[in-house]
Amino acid sequence: MSNKMTKRKATGLDTPDSVNSDTDASDIRQAVSHFSLETYSKRRKTDDGPSTSELRDFSSLPLKDDHVNRPLWIEPEKGRIIVESFSRPSRGPKTFSSELQSHNLVLFAAVSIGWTTSDILHRLKFYCKTAVPQAIQDFIIVSTSSFGKVRLVLKHTKYYIESSDEQVLQKLLRDEVIGACRIDSSEEFTKEAAPKMGALAIPGTKAAAGARQAEVAVQERPAEDEDDEVVRQEREMLNALREDDEEEEMDQVHSFQIAPENAQKVSKRCREINLPLTEEYDFRNDEANANLDIDLKPSVQIRPYQEQALSKMFGNGRARSGIIVLPCGAGKTLVGITAACTIVLCTSVMSVVQWRAEFLKWSNIDPSDILVFTADNKQQSHFNKNTGVVIATYNMITQSRSHDAMKILDFITKREWGLMLLDEVHVVPAEMFKKVTYSVASHCKLGLTATLLREDNKIEDLNFLIGPKLYEANWQELSQQGHIARVQCAEVWCPMTPEFYTEYLRANTVNKRGLLFTMNPRKFQACQFLINFHEQRGDKVIVFSDNVYALKAYALKMKRPFIYGGTPQNERQQVLDNFQFNPATNTVFLSKIGDTSLDLPEATCLIQISSHFGSRRQEAQRLGRILRAKRRNDEGFNAFFYSLVSKDTNEMYYATKRQAFLVDQGYAFKVITHLQGIEKMPELAYTTPEERRELLQDVLLQNETAGEAEVISEDLFSEYGARKTKKGARRTAGTLSELSGGQDMAYIEYNKSSNKGLKKKKGYQNSFMKGLARKADRVAAAKRENEGVYWCPGLKDNRDA
Amino acid sequence: MDASSDTMTANPLALEVLQGFSGTKLELLYRQPSTALAVFRRMLPHLAKTIVMAMLYMPNPFLASDLDAWIRPDAVAEKEQALLVLSSLHVMKTAMQAQGLAQHKSFGVPCRPAGDEVVDIKILDEHARRQWEDILYYMVGSTTVGVEGKSHISDATKSLLELGNFVDKRGRITQTGFTFLLQEVNAQVWSLLIVYLNHAPELLKMDPVEILSFIFMLGSLELGQGYSTANLSSTQKQMLDDLADFGIIYRPSPSTPFFYPTRLATTLTSDASALHSSAAAPTPTFDTGLAGGSGAASKGYIIVETNYRLYAYTESMLQISVLALFTRLTMLFPNMVTGRLTKTSVQRAIAQGITADQIISYLAAHAHPQMLKSTPVLPPTVVDQIRLWQIEGDRMTTTSGYMMIEFATEAEYRDTVEYAETVGLLVWKSDAKRCFFVNRIEQIKSYMANRRGRA
Amino acid sequence: MVKALKGVLVQCDPSIKAILLKIDADSGNEYIIEDLDEGTLFVKESKVASLKEKLKVTLKETVRENTDSDSE
Repeated sequence: MSNKMTKRKATGLDTPDSVNSDTDASDIRQAVSHFSLETYSKRRKTDDGPSTSELRDFSSLPLKDDHVNRPLWIEPEKGRIIVESFSRPSRGPKTFSSELQSHNLVLFAAVSIGWTTSDILHRLKFYCKTAVPQAIQDFIIVSTSSFGKVRLVLKHTKYYIESSDEQVLQKLLRDEVIGACRIDSSEEFTKEAAPKMGALAIPGTKAAAGARQAEVAVQERPAEDEDDEVVRQEREMLNALREDDEEEEMDQVHSFQIAPENAQKVSKRCREINLPLTEEYDFRNDEANANLDIDLKPSVQIRPYQEQALSKMFGNGRARSGIIVLPCGAGKTLVGITAACTIVLCTSVMSVVQWRAEFLKWSNIDPSDILVFTADNKQQSHFNKNTGVVIATYNMITQSRSHDAMKILDFITKREWGLMLLDEVHVVPAEMFKKVTYSVASHCKLGLTATLLREDNKIEDLNFLIGPKLYEANWQELSQQGHIARVQCAEVWCPMTPEFYTEYLRANTVNKRGLLFTMNPRKFQACQFLINFHEQRGDKVIVFSDNVYALKAYALKMKRPFIYGGTPQNERQQVLDNFQFNPATNTVFLSKIGDTSLDLPEATCLIQISSHFGSRRQEAQRLGRILRAKRRNDEGFNAFFYSLVSKDTNEMYYATKRQAFLVDQGYAFKVITHLQGIEKMPELAYTTPEERRELLQDVLLQNETAGEAEVISEDLFSEYGARKTKKGARRTAGTLSELSGGQDMAYIEYNKSSNKGLKKKKGYQNSFMKGLARKADRVAAAKRENEGVYWCPGLKDNRDA
Repeated sequence: MDASSDTMTANPLALEVLQGFSGTKLELLYRQPSTALAVFRRMLPHLAKTIVMAMLYMPNPFLASDLDAWIRPDAVAEKEQALLVLSSLHVMKTAMQAQGLAQHKSFGVPCRPAGDEVVDIKILDEHARRQWEDILYYMVGSTTVGVEGKSHISDATKSLLELGNFVDKRGRITQTGFTFLLQEVNAQVWSLLIVYLNHAPELLKMDPVEILSFIFMLGSLELGQGYSTANLSSTQKQMLDDLADFGIIYRPSPSTPFFYPTRLATTLTSDASALHSSAAAPTPTFDTGLAGGSGAASKGYIIVETNYRLYAYTESMLQISVLALFTRLTMLFPNMVTGRLTKTSVQRAIAQGITADQIISYLAAHAHPQMLKSTPVLPPTVVDQIRLWQIEGDRMTTTSGYMMIEFATEAEYRDTVEYAETVGLLVWKSDAKRCFFVNRIEQIKSYMANRRGRA
Repeated sequence: MVKALKGVLVQCDPSIKAILLKIDADSGNEYIIEDLDEGTLFVKESKVASLKEKLKVTLKETVRENTDSDSE
């Protein structure tokens, strides 16, 4: 491998997808969006000074005469870009909502990970209303000049730092951090072996084909655009650059080896000294690893945004490490596209099950090629063929100690993986990531998440642990295109009753106060009213509560099923099945175990009664639970997201913080100060002072810990839920093996469970559930018809080859 | 801002001043037909106008009880208000005197300027806008962070703004100033003139009647026409300098024996708020910088997004300064400024007296054409939120007044509380406790005295 | 005989009233003349300004005011 590929990506192949497409300003926005903020964000923090003189004056920037036709402003200090997305009125009529959307003048920090320096500068100059500030130009030149120079390469489960420029490597070795990480002791660099160069010849032809494609694309673009002088120059420039590249391809490649455990350290250090490593996997030429026989089912159609995301990942015919941000879990079958074997890591047993089901649903993979590795499933320690897919939890990889587990772990760590797919990357602790990425040698890492948000600012860590953000979807656009549901968001203000508020003012611990504002009778009433209202509309409702005491109290009082961390695995499954298929079960209460990974496309309404402080991520995650609503394409369908907030408590403060991300995504939270008709609702709870006092007494009697949010160590990273399952059910394997198969058995056993609402239907349940299961298959089949999955067409030729 | 409410509310201050005048002063004023007309047009509530029109040609006084027959019982409050205004202005006695429609100096003496110098309307508009914007900018300039102020208004005007409590001693805008600022131009001019009227007599030994009648006369003059200064009183001649400073009149030089009223003057007493809508005026109108650039098309310049971000296409320091009153501005580009409506920025404005509705109507009135394509123009959640921020900042309403307690009988309580409710003084009552709260007591007192008399 | 007591009528949410009552109790009943109903208090005129101020402070502490620390 060589750095030429990187270079090529930088010039040609990456550009078409953004530029070739409709040059509407909204596309420009996307084009800009793959500039990444990372390097800059550090800088920004320092000059966020006191708020006194916030208005920064850039009015001296010279405005171009034809600025009306150009969509960008660039702010010189932080490099933020404002895009005026309506600046081309000739682009045809737009609907009302997209008009609103296109008002979104979007701010972006510009640091390139994709284009060449002059490419970026030229583009910015072209679109900017003013002259591009010199500081920005300088910054772009400085930071991009070093891009793509050095690469981190995995070969035969060993890590190499590789560059075509010997001097760059010398420079790296002189760096004390990096120098110390070198493990081959020779003075010389390893020159790239002939076979590798030979192998490059093959991609050379292929890549060349790709390059031609890009060229065509670039040339097509001006035809769409005004064919003015600037564009022509631009094209010529691009061509010139590409020629430069061709010459460089003849260069030799030098490398030195580093210890796997230091790979991240080196990567981080390289970033710091402005020589960021690129991690790419030339999987088409990977002859060492066997190809997995997998393809999407023929009926599957890929959606435009999925294609876009994938083209970012495979833009230059190689697999690029990075993170793809898409609302909710539609990205799963991405794994189907890799040529070599794949390892999937997810956060809970539940999602392991779902991942496996997704593989089977969308691709033609042989079920025996999928190896599931959980606490309850660790017998099989090898693939039937020499390749396959492993689905495991993060915990199993990092914390397994048992003999069986060690055997599998050994199997995993001893071999090379084509793709490591990291689900829900935003929730996994950095330490765990480090362990995973060190112990599993993978050519390419792909992180998936709905929200690249962490309140602890560890997001930046992900940049070097996995890679840059490759693609982030615009939620509003997806919603307009009908890929995700339209959601009405509301914040419902529930006044505290005087008794509760008096106690609230008196309470001296966070937990006590939390319990009081969560158990506020007016909030309970609001919840009751909303459940009632939405059940009558035919909605399926999920109620979220971080606090388990409140979760149980609400659910029991309202006679609805609930799931929390302590709910055994198969009881969880059974409650969820009821929620999905039983028309009598329209509401389910979930603790924060429901925040992620649970795929409940039936849900159309969410009510949040207690949440984790100001976590923007949780808010987005929870919203994600209804974005995939099955009914989303129904005429005029709206999903509903309610946040119940006790007035004059710090819940108000947190609510605002929580919404920040979604508000920036274009969601509007309507504040509801009064629910129309709530007084008249029959059987409204806590209407008398006596009842309220009683409730208050009960709440006050609870000890401190009742006010705590659920401790979910078992949810994401341990197998607690599954372990508990063993006590109740005979086997969990049934649950794990098939979504539809083994459940009815488990179901009967769980008729004794605490979820009383489900108990009563004992008589007909068995056959009923079987019927439902059959229906579920049909539903799944129908869904397959309607829904697209991730697929990268460019990769098909890979198997052919 | 809002044209429809304009006739009733544009100059309550002027009304207040007039109501404070003695009967004799008012009679003096009403001798000027221009004043009488102005008072009738601009000062009276609609109902009062109707009553005056109806009574105008009546040979004899008529009974107040007959009046009740004209007015719907549910409009008692309006009737009382109309009668109150009419009597406090002494119109009930003097309405007839507004009859002199013959040629009269009070409508000004047109004058052809010496020489061929032509002062066209454009020059007048230019002058008026510049002078007036300077005043406004002086008021807001101080609040804008990071932008250099560039205001050149006379010291006299500065001290006038201070006297009117529009700015404080350090020249920072006050609560009154905020309200002033968001008014439409016509109301602003009136507000400033009232301050002038209130303070000039004392400071400059001017006759208030002269001042007022001159102001009313200006309102009846014609735009583009020059007027002689010859038959102005000494007070009125003295006023010319100040009025020129405000941009209300224009004089080529302080010594010229004639002056031109600008649009600020000629619309003073007109009923239509001609300053904002070009449709209402036969000639092109002008707006101050507050209203956007020239021409109706480029008028709207503000974009507000659902995420509370604000983008304003403007280069006007005045507009930027106004936005800065309630927006956290972040970046200033050559033709645009960006910012964000935040709880702090909005509540800061609210604390200084600006209301949520004022902010909202300002944003809506100056919304960018892109915004106008959607209905409602402003994102509803943002509008709601601004209102909620106001409510949040004012969580308890306080009313000074009197708690009426210890009623001897249920009948007495019920009777009195009903009366208090009818006249609109009742704030709170508790039938169980047999007590109620009123914000003023005089009327209740006399009612109770009467009641006792009747009993 | 009917009496008229001068003072200030305070109208507010029940929760705000709870805060006001607490302020009043903490200060040895400095402020309130009478607790009228769920959302109404009768307060000494001379004390209104100080009561408002204290309410503001208490509310801020209770809700932890948002400080516009928005990231852009």
